[in-house]
Amino acid sequence: MRSLNRKLALSMLAVAACGLAQAGDSAAALAPLEVRLKSAPDDLRLGAEYRQAVIKAEAYDQAIELFETLVEQNPEASNAYLNLGFAYVDKVPAVGSITQVILAERALEAFTKSVELKPVWLNLYTRGNSYLFWPVVFGRAPLGVKDLERAMEMQRAEPQLKPYQVRTFISLGDGYWKSNQHEAAVKVWREGLERYPNNPKLVERLALIEDDAGMDRYLGDELDPNKRVDTSLKELWEGE
Amino acid sequence: MRFSLAKTVALALAVWLSRANAGSPETPVRFVEVGESAGLTAPHHTRTFHGPHSEVLEMFTSGGAAVAVGDFDRDGDDDLFLTDSEAGLPNHLYRNDGKMHFTDVAAEAGVAAGNTDSAIVSDALWFDYDNDGWEDLVLARFGTPVLYKNLGDGRFRDVTKQSGLNTFANSIAVIAFDYDEDGRLDLLFGNYFQPVDLTDLTTTRVLPNDLDNATNGGGLSLWRNEGGGKFRDQTKATGLDGYSGWVLDVAAGDLDNDGDLDIYAAADYGTDRMYFNDRGRGFRDVTEHAIGRDTRKGMNAELGDYDNDGWLDIYVTNITDEYMRECNMLWHNVGDGTFLDVSRETQTCDTRWGWSAKFADFDNDGWLDLFATNGMRSGDDGNYVLAIVPVITRRGVDFADLQTWPKIGTMSWSGYQRSKLFWNREGTVFEEIGKRAGVDNDRDGRGVAVADFDNDGRLDFIQTNVGQRPFLYRGVAENGANWLQLRLVAKHGPPSAIGARVRVQTGRLVQARTVDAGNGYAAQSTRQLHFGLGEAAKADRVTVTWPSRKQEEFSVRINRLTTIEEGSGEPVRTGTE
Repeated sequence: MRSLNRKLALSMLAVAACGLAQAGDSAAALAPLEVRLKSAPDDLRLGAEYRQAVIKAEAYDQAIELFETLVEQNPEASNAYLNLGFAYVDKVPAVGSITQVILAERALEAFTKSVELKPVWLNLYTRGNSYLFWPVVFGRAPLGVKDLERAMEMQRAEPQLKPYQVRTFISLGDGYWKSNQHEAAVKVWREGLERYPNNPKLVERLALIEDDAGMDRYLGDELDPNKRVDTSLKELWEGE
Repeated sequence: MRFSLAKTVALALAVWLSRANAGSPETPVRFVEVGESAGLTAPHHTRTFHGPHSEVLEMFTSGGAAVAVGDFDRDGDDDLFLTDSEAGLPNHLYRNDGKMHFTDVAAEAGVAAGNTDSAIVSDALWFDYDNDGWEDLVLARFGTPVLYKNLGDGRFRDVTKQSGLNTFANSIAVIAFDYDEDGRLDLLFGNYFQPVDLTDLTTTRVLPNDLDNATNGGGLSLWRNEGGGKFRDQTKATGLDGYSGWVLDVAAGDLDNDGDLDIYAAADYGTDRMYFNDRGRGFRDVTEHAIGRDTRKGMNAELGDYDNDGWLDIYVTNITDEYMRECNMLWHNVGDGTFLDVSRETQTCDTRWGWSAKFADFDNDGWLDLFATNGMRSGDDGNYVLAIVPVITRRGVDFADLQTWPKIGTMSWSGYQRSKLFWNREGTVFEEIGKRAGVDNDRDGRGVAVADFDNDGRLDFIQTNVGQRPFLYRGVAENGANWLQLRLVAKHGPPSAIGARVRVQTGRLVQARTVDAGNGYAAQSTRQLHFGLGEAAKADRVTVTWPSRKQEEFSVRINRLTTIEEGSGEPVRTGTE
């Protein structure tokens, strides 16, 4: 009974949060979501919804602080670490160039923890993709490739590819390209296009494979830290 | 910052057209590097520090290669003052013989000194502080400034002591303008570090406390020229005291077209500042409204009307490297007190680790081009960035502490970057032609000053290089375009007419140029105004607005330098200009 009441209360809080967000008061919408997250720190979807509200409210530090507390209190909550990493990523376009580097490093640390706790497709893809945002000089693209190859293995083992798993074909190709393995990049992009016909990101890349400078510019633009990365994870729940 | 829809559409169209024309073999301008043959052989030296943190201090002070252009001997051609920064080493005063040959006369002129054990020369500026018609010289230092009075016979006298310019600051930029319109040139200094003696540290916490939003820099100092050779610190009285940015450059110009001179300060590690002059009574910080807050590494502030719309625009270089993708700022003056950054649209965003950049009409087509130098430190194959990142990403790191920073040794840090020349395509987009024009050197550039050193109507320029000899680029293109040059002599107020604005009309094109205050990082360009006229066979109308606010029209012949004095033209009735 107590549990039912608790669920009811949380649902009411969620409805209230939704209403506040709809009313445009994005900052006020955060508190009820935070209450729910404290009760369910490993709830990936709730954390993602909370972060989207945070982006609207530009309350990045508030989110980072919350997730840092959550992982401290729940050291086995891999999704909390994932959300913490994304909270750092969400702040990146809003800060200066040096702070971007610091946040990117913090995000990697959190993503690494999520992989250590649960080496599942999402965690490996996320960390692998995160490595690709680092300039070539840091030599992190091969680390990204390693994660993305594991993610690719996992998705190949599944009976059917999910729509969002096209991302692995795109990012793994990017990783190969940035690691100077252009043939491997083209191969994985082409395979991706076979499995996901007309995917614009793959079409754009394959149109540039004879133009190294053009591809470098394109990838530089795609992986520009000043551009906001979609961390909503909404594709995971599409069709539910 | 409001967007002008028409402007944005025009820019987008221009970018599209430019891309459609990409690969055009046309090279409108060409230069030959003649520094050594011209006699500019002395290399610059950075300051050597001693003690456990010497390498870090040397990194953070690796500027000081400055140049000031001015006709100190009034023989009709522009001379050069070039700084050194090493203790005991001389600065250089190069007298121009008018045929592109320079002779160092610093020692006999008495202006070689300035680098002492406890003071480091960082910038230099010609300005006539006593209105006697002879260009005097001020040296900005990490220390107190030095003021040399031009005696008019090729010699100078150090008058610093009696001038009152006695406050210690780590100044890195200095410009001169008459902010209060009392007829005397005042001095604005941009200060990098807080006023700590870097040669004798009592603390190791002297570096920026944040690398994107630092609040512990040196800010600005404004010294009012009181007359009689005296200056008084008016920083607080004019409202400039509340700023503690790491200022690398300052520029003055009439940004709101109200007749007085406003200020732009470019700051490393955080927000640049803009101040509007309140009719000489003080300055109003308009940053938030005019340009907003930035977190970039402001290196240079240059003013010019790149689109010939009658409003001064601002070019600020930042750092756009593979690990700091900041983009420069070309602040388009909207004309309502706000500015719109159009550097991406105009393709002037990326000059790598930027330093000085100057507007000038190098091809004489009536549109201001832009030369930008760059590069932090060219060393060996080692990359200092790889040493820094593990340090700056450490939790709880104290950026301000010298002990935090790893030694650089012989490593490179954004080195071997190539200078860029942006060719202005009629005020909407720029095309980078550095290589084709022969100016894409990979030295560690710092200052850029423009002048027509050989008086042939083709603008030349000098690029100072830190720890290296300067490059002198002589304009050699033969494109047949016409031009005119003006030397202004004001009768009311400072004779050098700083702040005077000239409009030259040829057909439908109206160009406006301002006698500037010494704007641009580590480099003062010529005070002569240069107008490219393209194919126009005459200037239809030349109108001067003097610092006294009087307006006159002049009849000026083309393809020559003309000296015009205030009061000798046809007065313009208010409302006809």
